[in-house]
Amino acid sequence: MSAIIQATGLVRTFGDFRAVDGIDLAVEPGEVFGMLGPNGAGKTSTIRMISCVLPITAGSLFVDGLDVRLHDREVKQRIGVASQDDSLDEDLTVAKNLAVYARYYGVPRDVARARITEGLELMQLADRRDSRIDELSGGMKRRLVLARALMNDPRLLVLDEPTTGLDPQARHLVWRKVRLLRERGVTILLTTHYMDEAEQLCDRLMIMDHGRQLAAGSPRALIEQHAGRDVMEVHPTEPDRAAVLAYLANAIGESGRIEEIEDVVYVFGAKEEQAHAVEAIVRDPYRVHFRRANLEDVFLTLTGRALVE
Amino acid sequence: MTTSTERITPPPASPDPRVHAEARPRREWGVVPWLGVAIPGRQSIRVWQRNRDVFLQLWKAEFVPPLLEPLIMFAALGLGLGTYVQLTGDVEYIQFLGPGVIAMFSMFAAVFEALWGAYFRLDKQGTYAAILATPTRPEEITAGEILWAASRGALNAAMIMLVMLALTPAYDLVSSPLALLTVPVAFLAGLSFGALGQAYVSQARSVSQLTYFFSLLVMPMFWFSGGFFPLDEFPAWASTAAWFTPLYHAVEVNRALVTGNVGWSDLGHLAWLVIVVPPLVWLALWTMRRRIVG
Repeated sequence: MSAIIQATGLVRTFGDFRAVDGIDLAVEPGEVFGMLGPNGAGKTSTIRMISCVLPITAGSLFVDGLDVRLHDREVKQRIGVASQDDSLDEDLTVAKNLAVYARYYGVPRDVARARITEGLELMQLADRRDSRIDELSGGMKRRLVLARALMNDPRLLVLDEPTTGLDPQARHLVWRKVRLLRERGVTILLTTHYMDEAEQLCDRLMIMDHGRQLAAGSPRALIEQHAGRDVMEVHPTEPDRAAVLAYLANAIGESGRIEEIEDVVYVFGAKEEQAHAVEAIVRDPYRVHFRRANLEDVFLTLTGRALVE
Repeated sequence: MTTSTERITPPPASPDPRVHAEARPRREWGVVPWLGVAIPGRQSIRVWQRNRDVFLQLWKAEFVPPLLEPLIMFAALGLGLGTYVQLTGDVEYIQFLGPGVIAMFSMFAAVFEALWGAYFRLDKQGTYAAILATPTRPEEITAGEILWAASRGALNAAMIMLVMLALTPAYDLVSSPLALLTVPVAFLAGLSFGALGQAYVSQARSVSQLTYFFSLLVMPMFWFSGGFFPLDEFPAWASTAAWFTPLYHAVEVNRALVTGNVGWSDLGHLAWLVIVVPPLVWLALWTMRRRIVG
């Protein structure tokens, strides 16, 4: 089976600025593929090119085997897009928003009616059918945008930062819906700058920065390869810093990596007994954290910067 | 699950390299090279339908002003100021005013829709962005908007015509059944106003900039297109300037239709209104495409 999205050397520039700077991408049917990176990494530009609302500058991009340059209509017909800004029609009711959207896809009216009912139930909005948009909470709006993106029964669902700006409870509900859709066999491409979201939802992901792809793979593989199993985070006081670094330089050797980022010392691939030793140096257990590595650490090791400032 | 990080494998060049290579000469997204835009298709109608649905949702608020404003004008200018105005021939001022009121207020309806309405949909409500994610091209959004602006113009003309017909027993405003054709004329002129509005909105970066279009273009047209007074008494350059505005020709055609005095020159006015539509629509499609696609 061929990939749903295939990009080779994909480039998008705005004047001199290279928003997307040569990306290779292959998303397989049925997977949840994530693009993780800070703001300005080129995630949104990439998905806007995939959804045929932004022309590509160079490279090639195929969606479901179709060249996005030539088959914009057909590609759009097969994709559902949930953008980060809600862009709902404030003047129309919840159900009417979906009906108007289904019409753009040429969905027959009776099919649309059934899909609206189904979509609202799926997104737990059935009792909001006749509400006005400004009566909905942020989480409800986001779920309605998801329901809207399903009106054309898409082969590929594109979610641009699906939970940005939502409170934790609303986020978890959106995550549950995304997993539900994956179980139904929908291929999902999502962008996020939350590493927990990427870990929770994605089968595979690509870490991006400055329009480039830094690494790609399953979350677990990325963590093991780039951050090791465990991480030690040390927040030493200024007088202790030299002693801590001296100890680490000696103790870690080939088994791990030391990075100083701002005033924090990270040891990737650390061992627990090393953490105890550092605790003895700084004489304060709260200044030493020993924990499992995560995607944030992967990003840190790759860029030397935190994912979310 | 894979256990090591994979470098994403480069996909094959194209499922059908031949098609790909042939089509490269910039037919991207249906853009016709010598036009710089794609020819809008039936998705334009769906954009139009979206606007209609919103309008019908709000119809109570939307219906009253178009009825009230012309009535106020007939009362203030027709019955008030008009009693002091002496026109050549035995025409009452309120009769002179009628055809202009139809043209002017349908222009307002079209321009409001194409300026403020469209600007909010483009920049504030994200409506265009949402539509663009569906199988709709930028050109079809613009075409739908222009059609909608023209429709609002025609609807306004129809409502004013109703008011005029209601006033006719008392003030003899309408003297020919041809007057009903002012509605399609309003649609035709509305295409120009809608296209001009869209082209302007494509350049606007804030709501306040829209006011310039109104003050510098719409208001001078409103006053100096022969709707309130004949342009004969003005220097030649004034009537020459008026000749370049769609409103002037709409007023002239309306006057012929409402009075029933239709002549060859009116065919000229009509032709003018038809001929300017394609270039103005092209301008709107081209500028708006650049704004939307970036």
